[in-house]
Amino acid sequence: MKRGRIELGDVTPHNIKQLKLLNQVVFPVSYNDKFYKDVLEAGELAKLAYYNDVVVGGVCCRIDVSEGQRRLYIMTLGCLAPYRRLGIGTLMLQHVLNYVEKDANIHCIFLHVQVSNDGALDFYRNFGFEVVETKEHYYKRIEPADAHVLQKTISKS
Amino acid sequence: MDPSNQVLPTKENSLFKRILKCYEQKQYKNGLKFAKQVLQNYPNHGETQAMKGLTLNCLGRKEEAYQLVRQGLRNNLKSHVCWHVFGLLQRSDKKYDEAIKCYRNALKWDKDNLQILRDLSLLQIQMRDLEGYRETRYKLFELRPTHRASWIGYAMSFHLLKDYSSALKILEEFRKTMQKNTYDYEYSELLLYQNMVMREAGLLEEALEHINTYKESICDKVTSLEIRGELLLALNRPTEAEKFYRVLIDRNHENKDYYLKLEKALELSTVEQKLALYKDYSLKFPRAHVPRRLPLNYATGEVLEALLEPYLQKCLLKGVPPLFTDLQSLYDQPGKAELLETLMYRYLHNLETCGRLDPSDESSDKEPACILFVLMYLAEHHSHLNNTETALKLLQRALDHTPTLIELYIIKGDILKRAGDLLGAVDAVTEAQTLDTADRYVNSKTASFMLSANLIQAAQDMCSKFTREGVSAMENLNEMQCMWFQNDCAHAYYRLGQYGMALKMCHQVDRHFTEIIEDQFDFHTYCMRKMTLRSYVQLLRLEDVLRSNEFYWEAAILAITIYLRLHDKPITDVTFENDINTVDMSPAELKKYRARQRKNRKAEERKQEEKRKEEKKAEQKKKQSGQDDLENPPQEELIPHKLERPADPINEALNFLRPLQALLPQRLHTHLLAFSIHLRRNKPLLMLQSLKRAWSVDRDHPELHTSFVQFLKYCKDSLPRKYQAPVVTPAESATPVPLPSNEQGSNKPNPTNHHHPSNKHIKNSKDNKNNNKDKNQRKNHHHNHQNNIASNNTENCKTDTNASTEIIAPTKPSINLEEEEANFDAQEAVVVAIIHEVMTSLVGTVDPVKLNEDFLNKNNESLPHRLQAARSMMFLDSVQKQRAIGIATEIGDHIKGRNLENLQTVLEWLEGLECEASPEEILRFKSQSQKLFPRAQIFMSELPQSHTTTVTTTTADGAAALATTTAVSGVITSVAPSITDDEITANCQQYDEVIVNHVNHVDG
Repeated sequence: MKRGRIELGDVTPHNIKQLKLLNQVVFPVSYNDKFYKDVLEAGELAKLAYYNDVVVGGVCCRIDVSEGQRRLYIMTLGCLAPYRRLGIGTLMLQHVLNYVEKDANIHCIFLHVQVSNDGALDFYRNFGFEVVETKEHYYKRIEPADAHVLQKTISKS
Repeated sequence: MDPSNQVLPTKENSLFKRILKCYEQKQYKNGLKFAKQVLQNYPNHGETQAMKGLTLNCLGRKEEAYQLVRQGLRNNLKSHVCWHVFGLLQRSDKKYDEAIKCYRNALKWDKDNLQILRDLSLLQIQMRDLEGYRETRYKLFELRPTHRASWIGYAMSFHLLKDYSSALKILEEFRKTMQKNTYDYEYSELLLYQNMVMREAGLLEEALEHINTYKESICDKVTSLEIRGELLLALNRPTEAEKFYRVLIDRNHENKDYYLKLEKALELSTVEQKLALYKDYSLKFPRAHVPRRLPLNYATGEVLEALLEPYLQKCLLKGVPPLFTDLQSLYDQPGKAELLETLMYRYLHNLETCGRLDPSDESSDKEPACILFVLMYLAEHHSHLNNTETALKLLQRALDHTPTLIELYIIKGDILKRAGDLLGAVDAVTEAQTLDTADRYVNSKTASFMLSANLIQAAQDMCSKFTREGVSAMENLNEMQCMWFQNDCAHAYYRLGQYGMALKMCHQVDRHFTEIIEDQFDFHTYCMRKMTLRSYVQLLRLEDVLRSNEFYWEAAILAITIYLRLHDKPITDVTFENDINTVDMSPAELKKYRARQRKNRKAEERKQEEKRKEEKKAEQKKKQSGQDDLENPPQEELIPHKLERPADPINEALNFLRPLQALLPQRLHTHLLAFSIHLRRNKPLLMLQSLKRAWSVDRDHPELHTSFVQFLKYCKDSLPRKYQAPVVTPAESATPVPLPSNEQGSNKPNPTNHHHPSNKHIKNSKDNKNNNKDKNQRKNHHHNHQNNIASNNTENCKTDTNASTEIIAPTKPSINLEEEEANFDAQEAVVVAIIHEVMTSLVGTVDPVKLNEDFLNKNNESLPHRLQAARSMMFLDSVQKQRAIGIATEIGDHIKGRNLENLQTVLEWLEGLECEASPEEILRFKSQSQKLFPRAQIFMSELPQSHTTTVTTTTADGAAALATTTAVSGVITSVAPSITDDEITANCQQYDEVIVNHVNHVDG
């Protein structure tokens, strides 16, 4: 039996509500309007994932500049529960990795993961991410409130 | 200059030629300059005046144009130029009949003028004057036998007149002259047209031989194969036909028609044979859909299950959202819905337990979306079977699985709408719409749902996301001839009681059809030139029956219903005061209130006036800049306020009815509405005619029963009519046959109206002319009309012809009243006898009360029948109101037909003019109905508070909209006005037809 078709697509003002809906379902955290306004400006840093033409996943990143260093921060990367383990997350993360690959000024990708989220931790470890820090009381209103900071450094020749 | 001498000297003559040239090259300003130069010296030169007028017309100065052209014509009646110009002017105003007359006059003075002949032929085909068209085409053929268009046009004129042999002779001669290049599309089209004429002539053998001979030259290979297949089937040579259909299927495996024809060619009769055929084809074309779908229609039982399983599994794995729509037609066949349900629940169970459709098949991957499509199918399935709650539960499970599948929200909307929750449905589809705002289908669907919930403004706002910027959505949609929207809008306005706006929408739809018919004009030359003759003939035939289109039907039915209502209960200007209870006010308060209202009204009017002025200005600006106006004369503005106060609503209703009678006689409501109109016109024989036609369409329809009862009651109460001596006015005594008074419309009682220059009256007087059977008068009329033009009479005089004819005609000697009365009574006796005889043969009785009681007894358990019995009861005796309401509102378990639609119809009747039930009675019925349809908003005494929505403003709007809904079906409450002698004449004219019908009926 043939697998379903998986593709990435742009986030536009026409379909932004699908991203919102998806994030509402997938993440325990809700994001404000500013988040989505920025996403619309993010270009390749925000993508929707389609399974047989239906939106089932999404990834949103931004460039973080601190201490004179440009880093890519993954704000959200998620997929609807029934569609996990089909390679959709991989496709989205690969897209991010490719982006960083092309940008000579970015040497580092990082993100936060709730300490209890073993699935996500395994997923990122597979791609060479490492826990570099654990922030206590990072999340409000959800339990456990602590988050690991995962980071991957890209070495470029 | 002497009017008799219209020859210009050389210098002016060359100037005149330049005017013509400027006109052709659209250099209107220059043309006017030259015209001025000529007219300076020769102010009475007719042709120059005419040309100046024509040029002015192109610049939008219509009135001046008419004046000048008429003046020119008067100065030179023998000039073909003047007549031609007058014809062109009339044509630009779409007065094609008049234009034809002008061209004919022009040809009198220059009989071989090619341009005029061509223009004339276009008008004749446009007006379907086929005989005239043939004559003109013959003339053109004679004059220019070398032109290709001459041959084709001449042949086509015979074809359209069904003189096939002449058409074929000309076509064959012409074919011989055509060059045959290796690939000549035009030659190919000619051959196919020739073949089409042969087939229509019934010359099947010849057609087959023809197409076989020329098959190499025909470029459209598919059509060539199709024609041969069809001819062979018609000639009963199935084995040869089979070959062609097999070739066609090989070319296109998804054309259902080819398979069905192949079945015929193979002379398959048993289900097994057919299934074997499709099995072969699904093996041959494993990806083809049709050979797998068609056998599902034939197979039953275990065979069906064996076919359905792979079919469903493939679709579910692939994720085909319209799977239910695809299979819906199977639900009409017994047992198939149950089988589908069993299979789907089995899949659901399998997916829940092991993640696969078929647990035994472990080789396949688990498809994550499979369960989603099973849930989606089951939700639609249950909604179809009216299990709303089950459907919604299943749908919620699907939404939990994949909340981003937009189709789910649309299905949710459909489920809720079906259950009567119109606002909930709007919310659901609005959700779908916001998820993908670039999807126009979802956008339109949302707008359509909003209109169902009477949210007109919200629907417009929704549509405006896709309509042109800078204009209102409503305007743009009208321009785009978006008829579904306008019809839905009309219904919404109607439900809200805004009859003017509803009528405006109906008239706009009607105008679209007029426009489509007028747009045909361009094709007369284009198709001839491009040789697309088959499509052209098809176009002509389509245009002939254009108003049989569903959109027209919908608009016409609604418009007639509204006009009947406006006839029964005209809008008086104080009605809106009824909104506020003025009884409780003190005189001082009342005075203040009235004053305030007057002020408001005046302000409103002023605003409207200003708006109109602005629009006019904008229009004029447009006119000056563009030259389209030659093609599009401005139409009378549709003003809702005026539309809902028609001078003659019955005549307006008749205008909408006529196309239905001509084109959709197979529909019951055509005749029921005709009956309702004639009842109000007090025309018993026309009523009888409508009822007979309705009876032959569907004799068992419950609504027909009420019409029968109404008719019998009318006959009992009003027939035979008493003779009423005519009020002798000079006009009437002069007319040889009195005109039927209703036909005359509003201008009858006030003869001075004849002088009214407004367009409406011109039209009315034209109607009169058409309705009058007296040829003499028509001739007279026509004659006068021509004279008027010739003698340069103004518009006023033209409309005056009726009156002037009447005055000129010698006064008839005084009528012998006694004799007239005797004649009348004799005629009336015949009418009564005919009605008696026909009604007895149709319904077995002429006693309406007995008819109704029998009807009720016979159909005691059917809700729609009970409603009609109740309606009839009210018509017969309004004292029976309580009993009638009791009958209509009985909806216990033993009553059949308790669906949402029928219950809604009962509610509309209770609330409407016909019944006017008390609020308590209405409330009681609503709460009973609500038990059956708990989600239906129309049965709620209050709207739900918990109603969530994304567009909060629209809900408030919607609540108000739904609360004020008082839809009323337009039915009779008042009896038509008293009879006049004109009626009888009109009825007598109808005798023949009815009697002939009657005789046919008895024979049949």
